[in-house]
Amino acid sequence: MSRVFWTGLAIAGAVLVETALAYLVASPGRYLDPFLLLTVYCALVGGETHGMLAGAAAGWVQDVLFGGRVLGLSPLSKLLVGFGVGLSGGRFMIASAAARALVVLIATVVDALLVQWLASVFSLPATGLSPLALVSRATLNALVGGLAFALVDRRLDSRP
Amino acid sequence: MALAVPARRSRLLVAGLALVHLAVISHQVDGGGGVSLLQRGLLTAVSPLQRGVSAIVGGVGEAWRGWAFHRATYTENRRLEQRVRELETELQAFSARAQEGVRLRELLELRQAVPMETAAAEVVSRDGVPWFRSLTIDKGEADGIALDAPVMSPTGVVGRVFAVGPHAARVQVLLDRDSGAGVLVERSRVPGVVVGQVSGSATGTEDLVLKYVPERSDVVVGDVVVTSGFDRIYPKGLVVGRVRYVGKGSGLFRDIRVEPSARFDRLEEVLVVRQVREPLETPRSVQ
Repeated sequence: MSRVFWTGLAIAGAVLVETALAYLVASPGRYLDPFLLLTVYCALVGGETHGMLAGAAAGWVQDVLFGGRVLGLSPLSKLLVGFGVGLSGGRFMIASAAARALVVLIATVVDALLVQWLASVFSLPATGLSPLALVSRATLNALVGGLAFALVDRRLDSRP
Repeated sequence: MALAVPARRSRLLVAGLALVHLAVISHQVDGGGGVSLLQRGLLTAVSPLQRGVSAIVGGVGEAWRGWAFHRATYTENRRLEQRVRELETELQAFSARAQEGVRLRELLELRQAVPMETAAAEVVSRDGVPWFRSLTIDKGEADGIALDAPVMSPTGVVGRVFAVGPHAARVQVLLDRDSGAGVLVERSRVPGVVVGQVSGSATGTEDLVLKYVPERSDVVVGDVVVTSGFDRIYPKGLVVGRVRYVGKGSGLFRDIRVEPSARFDRLEEVLVVRQVREPLETPRSVQ
């Protein structure tokens, strides 16, 4: 129950962050994806099931509030990303901040490629990301994610 | 920390959720022709199955209808065959009744034509020989039938009652060698006696013999022979038959054969004379 609550609260926070970013930065330059960071963190902490469910929920909120005409691409990509990250977290030791940042970086690339591939499969008009934009997006997410994960872990560890 | 879900179940879960998401996305994407991609995909995937199911169901239905049709046809055929048998039986019964009606009408005409009180009787048994020497009728003393009562049919004299019971009587037919009837040749009024030729176990011809007709008498083939009334048994004027053969006899009398008018082999109803009311004339039906 607490897991669902905290996940819901995190999604609400992601909505606030995305809203603020949407207010500050135009869409093409908006590289930070708080919903993806949320998905990766849940997957690393809770495993593949938690990761994919949190990813799907966050994706739906993202698509409904900030998405385009067709809904479902972000939920599907984050579902798969969450599952993959959770699976990796069970196989490898991903505890350090650097490792987590690397996972976020890879997850961002995979998420972007998945969305673009799904858009092409369904013949949907989607703005393609250039390699530079993709690297920039992944790097920014990895940095912010690594930092955010560390802060959250520290916050959780400090609880009595 | 991790959710306690087995890896296999989690894989199934992610696969199921992925499919659900693909379906949701497909439902929103235009697949052309006014239908969504999901609908188009489903139609494409399901239509062969639907065609197969339709073909199977259609084939089974057609086979069932064919079997039901053949079964109904078979049942109808059996029913119609039964109906045909019933109708044939009814037809035979109607035909028999029609023939009986004809015979009874002839009998009624005879009864109205002859000036005698008569009783209609049905022949209930006969001797088992081709030309019946005797037969049994279903009327007896209770119906006013007396011994020696003349018996006739619409076509001619049959014989006389030689034994009578309360409700039945035996009739000696003219064919019997022991029978005899006084007759006249109607045209020339030549008298004689006709007797039968059938007796015992031996069977003779069905012709009657006209006896005691002198050599010079005027008798030719085709003459009608009627009862004379001289024997006090048969009333005068009943038709007996027609002369079939006239030949030279061995003595004083001619050899004359008479074909009887009564159809002894087909007798079913007869008239039995109970009382003579007035002199007879030849009935119109046998003229």
